[in-house]
Amino acid sequence: MILLKFCLVLIVVNALTIGGGFVMLPMLQKEFVERYHWLTNQEFLDAIAIGQVTPGPLTVMNAFIGYKIYGLFGAVLAMISSYLPSIIIVMVVAKFYYGFKESRIVASSFKGIKAAVIGLLAAVAISLGNTSLVDLTTLGIAIISFTVIACTKIDPTFVILGGAILGALVY
Amino acid sequence: MKSPSLRNIFWVFLKIGTLSFGGVYSMLAFFERELVEKHKWITQQEFIEAVAIGQMTPGPPVVNTGICVGYKLAGIRGALTATTGQAFTGTVLAIMLAIFYVQTRDSILLRSIMSGVGAAVVGLLVSVIYKMAVGTIRDYRSGAFALSAFLALALLKLNPIGLILAAGTIGFMVHRGKVK
Repeated sequence: MILLKFCLVLIVVNALTIGGGFVMLPMLQKEFVERYHWLTNQEFLDAIAIGQVTPGPLTVMNAFIGYKIYGLFGAVLAMISSYLPSIIIVMVVAKFYYGFKESRIVASSFKGIKAAVIGLLAAVAISLGNTSLVDLTTLGIAIISFTVIACTKIDPTFVILGGAILGALVY
Repeated sequence: MKSPSLRNIFWVFLKIGTLSFGGVYSMLAFFERELVEKHKWITQQEFIEAVAIGQMTPGPPVVNTGICVGYKLAGIRGALTATTGQAFTGTVLAIMLAIFYVQTRDSILLRSIMSGVGAAVVGLLVSVIYKMAVGTIRDYRSGAFALSAFLALALLKLNPIGLILAAGTIGFMVHRGKVK
């Protein structure tokens, strides 16, 4: 039953990830951390970090979460559930591309969603910040990380690895 | 335009999924080099179309672009092959890291590393939000959408899945007359 719920959550979340991979975070946090307690906030943060340092999209973090909850089988199932909605929807859209492009329903509702998810992500960032920013050092790391990623073209992977090294040295 | 075999599709997407880190735009540049310039499987125009479809469909845009290209090359099987190839390395690495993580989670070194990592991820998130806001919030309506979504989640603790569905519905009602 857990597994079925887990897959269902991932399918729904991925079908609603509109506007970039990070958009799944508010939904995943709500379902996995707050509702079902499969992960702590700290583990959720760790999962995001893993998704970011591994090649490929952030979605890979779901394999990590799947493994954590249900072992290898959970990881494989997590990836299938995450990609299933994308595969189906993309194929349908690719087939009817021009009709879809002109669709007012899609364009207008996506416009609302893309603005709203920014607010959702901000709420998640605050919640995760409460968990991980516990002293001046972690606050400093977060500020450096933000500045480097927002102002330079350095790949976020290196910033996260930098955070790992600083963490190991300081604590 | 020659149509490649499934095995070739798998290998090229494996390469894309393995060698492309992080940023969406560096990944898309890599896509273009492999698919358009090197293998000439699709034209520039088809690539641009695939990117557009990737961005207007739910799910990670880069993955969706890959699915779209795979589908164009070899139908459903092409889409599945491209997805598998693209996801393979990251998934294997994530599972390996997960095994390592579960076994060493109580070690002091891992906890201290992860406290640095967690802080860096929060910084990353804020910069993602900043970039999305700069690109998306261009009028007071979008600002109102973002602000109400923030309050609904942060204060009222409403469910984000429901909030996204609501934003889509309200977006349709508000914008339907204006979006071209």
